[in-house]
Amino acid sequence: MKVRELMFTNVIYVTVDTPLRELLNRFSSFHTFPLVPVVDNGQKLVGMVKLQNIIDVFLPYNPEIIKMAPFMDEFWEEDIFSVDLTPEMGSLIVVEDIMDHNFVALRQDDSIEKAYQLLRMHKVQQLPVVDEDGKLVGMLGIFDIVLQVFKEKGIF
Amino acid sequence: MHLDPILSLGIIFLSGYGVLKLINVLKIPTVTGDLLLGIIIGEEILNLVSPHILSASSFISNLVLGMIAFTIGQNFSMERFRKLGRSIILISIMEAAGAWITVTLVFYFLLGKELYISLLFGAIASATAPAATVMVIREYRAKGVFTNILLGVVAIDDAWCLMIFSISLAAARALAVHVGGSFLLTSLGKAIIEIFGALALGTAAGIAFNKFSSSVKSSVGAQIYTLGFILTVIGLAIHLKFSILLSSMALGATLVNMKGANQRYFESIRSIESPLYLLFFVLAGANLELASLKHIGLIGLTYLVARVIGKAVGAAVGGLLAGAPANVRKYMGFALVPQAGVALGVALIAKADFPKFGGMIFDTIVATTVVYELVGPILTKFALTKAGEIKPRSTASET
Repeated sequence: MKVRELMFTNVIYVTVDTPLRELLNRFSSFHTFPLVPVVDNGQKLVGMVKLQNIIDVFLPYNPEIIKMAPFMDEFWEEDIFSVDLTPEMGSLIVVEDIMDHNFVALRQDDSIEKAYQLLRMHKVQQLPVVDEDGKLVGMLGIFDIVLQVFKEKGIF
Repeated sequence: MHLDPILSLGIIFLSGYGVLKLINVLKIPTVTGDLLLGIIIGEEILNLVSPHILSASSFISNLVLGMIAFTIGQNFSMERFRKLGRSIILISIMEAAGAWITVTLVFYFLLGKELYISLLFGAIASATAPAATVMVIREYRAKGVFTNILLGVVAIDDAWCLMIFSISLAAARALAVHVGGSFLLTSLGKAIIEIFGALALGTAAGIAFNKFSSSVKSSVGAQIYTLGFILTVIGLAIHLKFSILLSSMALGATLVNMKGANQRYFESIRSIESPLYLLFFVLAGANLELASLKHIGLIGLTYLVARVIGKAVGAAVGGLLAGAPANVRKYMGFALVPQAGVALGVALIAKADFPKFGGMIFDTIVATTVVYELVGPILTKFALTKAGEIKPRSTASET
């Protein structure tokens, strides 16, 4: 079975120019912040936003810059309660500033066995799915694959 | 009676855990804490480090430095250079080269040291310590153009340091041998082989890594596969007398520039780094000969001052070339004073490679590291305040 047959196509995504405020508004009714694909104006998948990216807003700098520096004290947790953020930041910060530029995506013609392997290897619950041109076409999660297997065994 | 090596390891790790808890209160970087711990539990004070482990210092430092160089190799991608931008690249190259040249010249002409010793000191001087800098930025919530440039500079600067050190080490070996009477061209030829051989080895290993990486199916597999390649490259470099740092860095740089999701291989070794780093810095501290500290007074002081001048002048020239704002040109050098992990690491290499005077270099670097790590953050804060990027804490009293 191919990824395209199992993925869900009704994907919630944002564009690179979405301001932080709008991003927070859109997901405020969710139980938690989900993994959100980010597309450019041509629907091409260019990044991913996860909860950690939102928490990183509390940092005074872009953590991606120093990611490769050796001997960083990573356990220095940011005290989010004592940070002064100004209301303007809600519109000044856009998704492109906070998203992960490096991400893994599935191809719609990948087999679900390969997809499962990739999901497990990268220790993630979900991955975005792209077509040949790198355009976002869907999302697929481990649970979808597990459900499918249960279905095949007649349990579900 | 000597401690059992495994018991000694247990003591190192448990007291290292204590350091981890303590540094949050003391507000010093982990590297400094581990280094001080090493000095305290070392032979000359508490004597809790087994000689077995101490004698494995060079083994552990080669391993750790190879892994660090591999990670630093990731910096050499077009995407990374684009993200950092021209000013950061120019300023970082100039401040690293500035410290290298200034310290080398001062040691050679003012202190009258041999050129190869001066070169090694100069090369070590080019390193900075990102952890201390980031700590200051976080603590005072500095923000702005200066802060962004500073972060970029400390992030990439160790990549230049490793290159500068590798070249200087090869040159120092050639010069030292020449002093011993060998033909200069032969030793220079060896130096060139040491450098280009390392680049070829790392690149070839990177291509092989990529070719067979499709067989890696799990995260455990990725970790073992990556570690296997890094260790093989380090081992081959040692065997073939190539630069360990350059070959591991070339491996990382090749991978990051190849197609495919190679990011995970860099991440896969993250989880094993921390205990190795702890061991590495504790051993660095334990290797310090306290008695020799008395003799490094003038050398240490000269090094402390010359390095800061070199960084300040280099950063100013780099800022000028890049057309950076005036506050960047004026104060960037002072924000780059902290020195720690990479400097200690390469100093350990110098110690292992030059038994005669390497100890003196290493002891100087350990002693100056402690000074720099205490004074550095204060200077970084000074630079950030002067640049106008630290806001006064009590805004209430101003209104």
